[in-house]
Amino acid sequence: MDATKLEFLRGTLDVLILKSCVWGPLHGYAITSFIRQQSDDALLLEEGTLYPALWRLESKGLLQSDWGLSENNRKAKFYRLTAKGRRQLQQETTTWHTYAAAVSKVLAAEQPNRPLAEEIR
Amino acid sequence: MNLNRMWRRYDRLLGADVASDINQELRFHIEAKAESLMAQGWAEDEARKEAERQFGNLGALQGEGERIGNRIERRKRLREYWSDVLQDTRYGFRKLAKSPGFASFAILTLALGIGLCSVIFAFLNGALAPLPAVPEPERLAIMQAPIPYPWFKTYQGDGEAAWKAAAFMSPAPFNVSFEGEGSERVTGILVSPEYFETLAVHPQLGRFFNTRSEREGSAPVVVVTERFWRTRLHSDPHAVGRRLRINGSVVPILGVCPRGFFGTGTGSLSVPDLFIPVTSNAAIAPELRDNVLHRNTQPAFWLLLRLKPGTTIATAEAQLDAETRHLQTRPQQKGKLAHLMPDGTVMPLPPEARAILYIFYGALVLAVLGLICANLGGLMLARGAARFKEIAIRLSIGANRFRLVRQLITESAVLAILGGFAGLATAILIFRLLRTVQGDSNPLLDVLISGPDFKVALFTFAISGLVAIGFGLIPAIVVTGLDTADVMKAGLFNGLRGHRRFGIRNLFVVGQVMAAMTLVLIAGFIVIGAQTGSKVDPGFDSAPISFFSVDPTRDGLTGPECAEALRRIPERLARLGGVESVSLADGPPVSKSTPDTKVSVPSIGDRSVAFQRVGPNFLTTVGAAILRGTDFEDRTLLMDDGSGKVLPIAINQVAATDLFQSEDPLGRRIQVGEQAYQVAAVVRYLPRTILGGHAVPVVLAPLTLNDLQQSDIEGTTVVIRAYTPVGIAAINSELAAIDPRITIFHPQTMPEYLSEQDRLASMITASYTPIGVFGLILACLGLAGVTAQTVQRRQKEIGIRIALGARRMDALRLVMGEGIAMVLSGAVLGFLVASGLARILAAISAPMAQVIGPAASAPGLTLGIPSFFVLLAAIACYVPARHAATINPLIALREE
Repeated sequence: MDATKLEFLRGTLDVLILKSCVWGPLHGYAITSFIRQQSDDALLLEEGTLYPALWRLESKGLLQSDWGLSENNRKAKFYRLTAKGRRQLQQETTTWHTYAAAVSKVLAAEQPNRPLAEEIR
Repeated sequence: MNLNRMWRRYDRLLGADVASDINQELRFHIEAKAESLMAQGWAEDEARKEAERQFGNLGALQGEGERIGNRIERRKRLREYWSDVLQDTRYGFRKLAKSPGFASFAILTLALGIGLCSVIFAFLNGALAPLPAVPEPERLAIMQAPIPYPWFKTYQGDGEAAWKAAAFMSPAPFNVSFEGEGSERVTGILVSPEYFETLAVHPQLGRFFNTRSEREGSAPVVVVTERFWRTRLHSDPHAVGRRLRINGSVVPILGVCPRGFFGTGTGSLSVPDLFIPVTSNAAIAPELRDNVLHRNTQPAFWLLLRLKPGTTIATAEAQLDAETRHLQTRPQQKGKLAHLMPDGTVMPLPPEARAILYIFYGALVLAVLGLICANLGGLMLARGAARFKEIAIRLSIGANRFRLVRQLITESAVLAILGGFAGLATAILIFRLLRTVQGDSNPLLDVLISGPDFKVALFTFAISGLVAIGFGLIPAIVVTGLDTADVMKAGLFNGLRGHRRFGIRNLFVVGQVMAAMTLVLIAGFIVIGAQTGSKVDPGFDSAPISFFSVDPTRDGLTGPECAEALRRIPERLARLGGVESVSLADGPPVSKSTPDTKVSVPSIGDRSVAFQRVGPNFLTTVGAAILRGTDFEDRTLLMDDGSGKVLPIAINQVAATDLFQSEDPLGRRIQVGEQAYQVAAVVRYLPRTILGGHAVPVVLAPLTLNDLQQSDIEGTTVVIRAYTPVGIAAINSELAAIDPRITIFHPQTMPEYLSEQDRLASMITASYTPIGVFGLILACLGLAGVTAQTVQRRQKEIGIRIALGARRMDALRLVMGEGIAMVLSGAVLGFLVASGLARILAAISAPMAQVIGPAASAPGLTLGIPSFFVLLAAIACYVPARHAATINPLIALREE
């Protein structure tokens, strides 16, 4: 399976963006780099998807943007997590963990002793 | 992380530019990407191309970014605005909480003033409310003058394409008795069979009239209102088919109207409970006699139209006009012959009357609002002055002037909104009180005083907003227009540069005194006028007199039977114990008090007098003294229609002077219509106008056989003179001996009757006194407030004067002089405005003219009210001014 083709599951992009900003303000480019590095290049974020997501999060009040200077002294827009964003992140993380654990459990299941159909009968 | 705050400041300075922000953000990303690619060994051009390629459609992205960005920006601005408003409001509340005295005074003032305006508006709103229980009332129209029934038929036939037509007569009394019980007078109207169809109203029970069943000359039937059915028939579900005895005939109930329905208005406050078709045989009502449905000369019917879609009042009027020209037998008249007005409201009003109503009440509302604004504006200014230093400091450290004005206005808006709520509550309370008093007696009044609804609430808050701007804006601008350096330098209270005799503050006071003076004078004129009128002296001793009315034609008696019964009533009643004398009249003694009859006097001309017809012994019965001449009464006239004879009359002194000036009235002749009269006596008999109490010229003419056979709405009054009270039971049994069908109504003693007229005067007093007192209190409080503030402001000046040797009296005179000058100029202006308004009022309405007339022309009153007012104002000025005399120069000057 080609790692670069991993699609973002619906809803997971937002939580990943929020997570990227948890240690301090980041600009858009830094967010893509963060996600790529943390996922060992498995998740590649397209710019055409990232920016609308960022703006939407800002308009929902989960992120707040400020102009600042980048590492090489260029003007860049930095996104910061708001208090509301932080709460949202916590919630989503918990949900995701529960969901992922449940899915993994089901996927790792072995064949039951009796066929399922019998139990229902 | 290297966040540079400078960018934010830059951003604020020029305002946000969303498009360039997005562009820059994306540009940065592309460059960063390109750089990282170059670091991996890409050529610069290739790297840049690759970075852009990864973005896909850059233009679309830019567009989406701008859309979202603009939304964020808009929301941010709105949030900032509201947070400012919230902050101002909170600040306003805190400021008011700190001066509860000022706040409660202001709210009370606003509650009274705005409440008054709401009440006025709620009345108008009620009067112009759509007719209850009638679908599409806006399509109804009524002709402004009554017409003969055949005309209605013509209009109905010719106008089928444009309207549906019906006709009805004015409300009239009907004597109704319920199976075996005694009879009562109930108001009803006679309507053409198309009436309910035209109104498109459907019965709650039974059926309504229609042209098939209700043919001319058929037996009478009746439709009753829901209220009648509920209160008199106890909501009987089988009421349809029950029989009522109406005016002596037995009439089955055909149907019951829907709840709230009371027909359409004719401008009268009395509303019907019974509807009877005009096609019923004439025995049911005297109004139908003389073949009225076929006579072209009796304009007794109101034409009601329901205009079809596409027909407007104007086009309908034009069509009616053309038809009327054909109908009229007289030579062609010029000008419009048919006048329609909309009839879909509770009180139908011709457009001109509506305009006058709006103008009058509009002016009243404006005067009240102006007074509140001047008063509170003055006080706000005074408070603003006390905050000069605070405001000066805020201005000098860079507060935005616009923002400061907004803040000060927010304070007045907080007050005005609180006042608006209080005003609405006041209005609701007043209407609740009115409804309690009114009870369930008149469905039209119910609508009229239904009280504040959504529209009234909206109006109330709209005027609250106006008031807020009115009394907030000018002080706010004055206060923030300060020269800050001056204030800081000069200290607390010398904010306004120098002291201006014609400063804005003084203008406020003068305006306020003027408005208050106007209100007080107008209210005073009306109250005093009404009071004068209430002390009615009829010219004779009223104590032994009592009276009641009968209307035998409505009890089912024929004309001759009726005349016979009326001739016998005085004879039989005179035999009762304690009764001295009994007579007949066409209304209670001195009740005819409107000079509405035109008499022509040879060699003098036409004059208007009140005209009362009385039976034999009338003067003896009421005890009216004959000043000149002899008793004019002629017993034989009761058997004779008097036609062709010259009838003897008595006149009162007022009529004697009015009709014949200084000449001897005895033996002189006058003419009323076709009938000639000769003056036989001058008597002391003084009917007075209900409002204003002017003595009216009256002519007392003898009742003739004709009068006894006919019946007007009031019936015939039987007047009794007795020193011991006569019981109703005794009278009833005497009447039963004459004819058992006769019923009596409106029994009353003369003193009761006179005090009823007093009640009207006290009602007027009760409604106008608060307005006057309101004006007076407001003006005094405002004046006291402004004077107190003047004293405080000029404390230093006065301190210096005293230190330099001025006496304390001089200090007092200094402050008082200014106050009195303002009061006097305001009072003179107010006097002029009030006189002008009184004249306008008198021109608009005749009853008002009667009320205002005597008060406005009595010098004692016109001087008395202003003097009293000026005296009170002077006291209001003196109380705070006293402080000027107690200023200690040491303390006053130490302030610096």
